[in-house]
Amino acid sequence: MNLYKYASPAMFYPVAGKMIPWFAIPAAVLFGVGLFVGFFIAPTDFQQGDAYRIIFIHVPAAWMGMLLYVLMAAYAGIGWAFNARLSSMMASALATTGAMFTLVSLVTGAFWGKPTWGTWWVWDARMTSTLILMFLYIGFISLQAAIEDPRRADRAGAVIALVGVINVPIIYFSVQWWNTLHQGATIRMIGKPTIAAPMLAALLIMLAACWLYSVAVVLMRLRCIILEREQNAARFAEVGV
Amino acid sequence: MNWPDLSMGGYGFYVWGSYLFSLIAIVWEVWSLSHRKKALIQQQSSSNSVPASVLRESANETSS
Repeated sequence: MNLYKYASPAMFYPVAGKMIPWFAIPAAVLFGVGLFVGFFIAPTDFQQGDAYRIIFIHVPAAWMGMLLYVLMAAYAGIGWAFNARLSSMMASALATTGAMFTLVSLVTGAFWGKPTWGTWWVWDARMTSTLILMFLYIGFISLQAAIEDPRRADRAGAVIALVGVINVPIIYFSVQWWNTLHQGATIRMIGKPTIAAPMLAALLIMLAACWLYSVAVVLMRLRCIILEREQNAARFAEVGV
Repeated sequence: MNWPDLSMGGYGFYVWGSYLFSLIAIVWEVWSLSHRKKALIQQQSSSNSVPASVLRESANETSS
């Protein structure tokens, strides 16, 4: 079986269509399970009360915002270096979902900040660097929309994506490098998490749901981009190839 | 299992506000994508002139 043929946008179009339900349905189920565990099983926090339940959407959204940016930069870089159209299209498809998750993390963070810190927003290192991430996404999307030739738009987008990727470790380590109002990492790569098991379970289930959701919507958007850029992709799909 | 207090201990506005905003963002994203795809398919079906048989041959050439 020649897998390289799926690097062609027209060949990948029907495959992407078949993959979407395999991600969308489990995402919907896991969102339901995660919210159930988060609201019905996880106990009330002794310090923050029920306000802490915002983490079940805030933390996965913040992680997704960062992870999707790294993925977007990787795809944009591959597209640029190897002139791989599908990679560049994938980078474009990832941008809006990444921006959406970053916006959700900023807004839900503000909703969490008001009752716990007494303010909606502070120019804290974590929050400011996340806002910069949002601007990087907006910059990438706007730049691509502003350039008519898709190949030139992909190259320009790749530059902004690759330069901006430096912001991701800054966001992640900002709470360690600077004295910030934002709390430190609750779940660490090394060592035990500092939250109760049901809270951690809800958080991880919601993270898995966000991942699956992202794959489904990115594939949906990728199909739209293929349709826009490849004149005959829809007809390829119709004839079942 | 504990039934959550809908007022979230006085933090209901913040908790439900967060989830409502997230729900709106997700619904908007999915709706706008399906709308975009429908519009594209309509546009392509009205302007496409390449017959399916030609495309099938072209696909076979690519894969062989």
